[in-house]
Amino acid sequence: MATNATPVLEVRDLTVLYDSRPAVENFVLTIAPGEIVGLTGDSGSGKSTLALALLGLTRGPGHIETGSVTLDGTDLLAIDEASRREKRGRDISLIVQNPRGALSPLHRIGQQIGAVYTSHQRGSRSEIAERAVAMLRTLGLNDPERRALAYPHEISGGMAQRVLIAMALGSGPRLLVADEPTSGLDVTIQAQFLDEMWRNVRKVGSAALLMTQDLGIIANYCDRVIVLQNGRQVEDAPTRSFYSSPRDGYSRSVLALRKEDPPADPVPAPLLTIREMTKTFPLRGTTKRVQAVDDVSFTIGRGETLGLVGESGSGKTTVGRCILRLIEPDTGDIVFGDISVAKAGPVAMRALRRKLQVVFQDPFDSLDPRWTVADILAEAMETKPDKGRIAELLQLVGLGADVARAKPRALSAGSQQRVNIARAIAVEPELIVLDEPTSALTPLARIGIIRLLRGLQERLGVSYLFISHDLNTVEHMSHRVAVMYLGQIVELGTREQVFRNPLHPYSKALLAAHLVADPLRRRVDRENPETLSGEIPSPIDLPRGCYLASRCPVALPACHEQPQKLLPAPDGRLVRCTPAVAGLNQTIH
Amino acid sequence: MSEVLDFADSGATYVAKPAPSFLFRLGAALVVLSLVLMVIGPWIAPYDPNRPTFEISEPPPALVDIPGLLWKVITGAPREPIHWFGTDSTGLDVFSRVIAAPRTDVAIAVGANLASLIVGSLLGLLAGFARPWIGGSVMRISDLIQAFPVFITGMILVTLAGRSNMTIVLTLAFLYTPIYVRLTRSEVLSQRHRGFVDAARALGKSESFIALRHVLPNAMAPALIQASVTIGFAILMTAGLSFVGAGVRPPTPEWGLMIASSANELIQGEWWSSIFPGLAISVTVFGYAAFGNGLERKYGH
Repeated sequence: MATNATPVLEVRDLTVLYDSRPAVENFVLTIAPGEIVGLTGDSGSGKSTLALALLGLTRGPGHIETGSVTLDGTDLLAIDEASRREKRGRDISLIVQNPRGALSPLHRIGQQIGAVYTSHQRGSRSEIAERAVAMLRTLGLNDPERRALAYPHEISGGMAQRVLIAMALGSGPRLLVADEPTSGLDVTIQAQFLDEMWRNVRKVGSAALLMTQDLGIIANYCDRVIVLQNGRQVEDAPTRSFYSSPRDGYSRSVLALRKEDPPADPVPAPLLTIREMTKTFPLRGTTKRVQAVDDVSFTIGRGETLGLVGESGSGKTTVGRCILRLIEPDTGDIVFGDISVAKAGPVAMRALRRKLQVVFQDPFDSLDPRWTVADILAEAMETKPDKGRIAELLQLVGLGADVARAKPRALSAGSQQRVNIARAIAVEPELIVLDEPTSALTPLARIGIIRLLRGLQERLGVSYLFISHDLNTVEHMSHRVAVMYLGQIVELGTREQVFRNPLHPYSKALLAAHLVADPLRRRVDRENPETLSGEIPSPIDLPRGCYLASRCPVALPACHEQPQKLLPAPDGRLVRCTPAVAGLNQTIH
Repeated sequence: MSEVLDFADSGATYVAKPAPSFLFRLGAALVVLSLVLMVIGPWIAPYDPNRPTFEISEPPPALVDIPGLLWKVITGAPREPIHWFGTDSTGLDVFSRVIAAPRTDVAIAVGANLASLIVGSLLGLLAGFARPWIGGSVMRISDLIQAFPVFITGMILVTLAGRSNMTIVLTLAFLYTPIYVRLTRSEVLSQRHRGFVDAARALGKSESFIALRHVLPNAMAPALIQASVTIGFAILMTAGLSFVGAGVRPPTPEWGLMIASSANELIQGEWWSSIFPGLAISVTVFGYAAFGNGLERKYGH
């Protein structure tokens, strides 16, 4: 980037006080035209406060104490509120986390995009409507005329996010402030959004400040990285040198996990076998059924971790819940050791419960808020436990013995998740279903939990079914990986097979959208031909043939008619795509 | 590893609760006062609330005389206790009867609400946790009870079953149970999908254990908050039933009865024997409502 050009944004000594406690202290930042700066830091480091302060706004008792925010030569904090409002939305745009919450449910999409134009520029009604449609078309929404007339609840989350971009970029802002713009989005949609933002900033030479806890996003899209900790800048470095030699403690801790080796392979001895499991849910008020799990088969060995990945609605959580018999599968068999879980009666199931445990996504929701940690752990044990056993369990998960007296509310999310893990291992299970155990945690807490889970596996020899949409953590946890799409496993292979060389077109698209926390493996630098087009089919009316055929770049005419089977490829993995397996066969022979 | 762990879990997060408002404190004070009077009211009354004195229809002391009278009380002048609220047409001391009445009014209201809270929350738990047809039947029966006007149903039931304090308690309990069923059920429906419920299932706990130990305690908050408001209404209802002659029997000191028996004198200018019990009802109902409102702000979602 041309750093000698006049900066678009120049922030000097910005301090925001809450009562008299600084939330952001002496913040300094310059952004050159066409530059994207990443801002990271743990929860509560002051990122969101800063985002608002750049627009001259504060929340609650906070106020901007000192500093200047100069945008194209004008100090935003020195001018009056009316002229500042004039600049917001036209010269500065803010994109916030929850795309649906940011759209008004009572107005049509086109109207809302149009409102951005009308608030700052003049134009006739039809002109505005045309511009809104044109904007939707450039963002790649199919059938933009119809979308412009839709209400927010009629479009998917990914589309809602694109509408927000349309609104944010609609007025051609000089500065884009995006506060965790993609959290909660699936990886493929996240990649689409960030690609669009990246292209736009580069093309028009505006500036962007991207606030995120995801180091993969920063590595892939940002030119510079700033780390905030307790409101202070502890790092400001070009992206490459940040990743190769982080200077402050926070960055080092967060980046440390990347350098660790993946888990060593266990001795193969099957523990859990699932055969042709299906599960459908009735759709209320109709005779139709939603297909959640469709002909799923896999095994997990002793001491092995199977990663189950897929986007939201792919059925991965339902698989986990069926194994635990929290819901009953429709057909298929689940064999644990030599006992059938699916057919077990109440007595056999009670014995099985002790060998099968679970850790859920939301650590606070999984603990009874009225019970102390000691009570929660005691509930898991058959006999009344002594204090020593509880202290021992707490120590196993890296918590002090004094935590036993605390109630869940008094603990941080990371500590709460440790208590959940302690409860799961209290019964000495052989398999733990980990249902997105790190998704609700900050990066630091996430790393702690991943290390803990790996350490426990080495020490106790427990097997994991690791369900996650976060490919980074899956790569660090799993020995083998299964990719799910619309209730089916489309590819099942070793970690290296799936992550290094995915075969199924869907796995390819998923992995292409995966943002690795490594600035030398950026998504924007490589060709990504595997991008899937169109929308995911509804799980109520599934296509006759391959479920991916309508979006697949390599689909043959037969794919639309013939359902695909999960077949072994020459290298031992299973792939639900005959053309892909055939293609691999050709390259080998 | 330990360095990173310490870093990752530094400190607990406490959420500061907003300070209780003035209205909440006032409500709490009035609730406590009514409960104290329920226990000791008849004992601390200066006159026997059921034995007439010789002064008949004596008005309360004039406002200007009150400081002097207070001084006399403090200095312990040997004199008959003062009729602060005057006496009624039969010579009963109004003040004594007003502070003796909570023994009846508040006790009936609290007893009825306790009974309906216990029965209602258990039925609500059943409705939210059991098979759909059981839950459905419980809810339809609740609808049926709530479909009738509360006051008229109360009058009819009390008249049919005989006018005793116990019948009034049972009638009110019967009429208020659907409120608690409904509140508890809706909360149970959201609590039963919480993670800790599934975690307890994965540990092999029985459904009844989960329902009683995990779901019910976490589903009680709205019902408990509602109880405060409903007790206020139950006091009003008890007094109302007595006023129309379907409540407690005279000459029990009771606010509604006092208003009813003095209503005729009101026209002749003897305002004190009905205004003071009326004020007592208003202040008490307001106290319970303010307390419930404050509780909801503090603990509600």
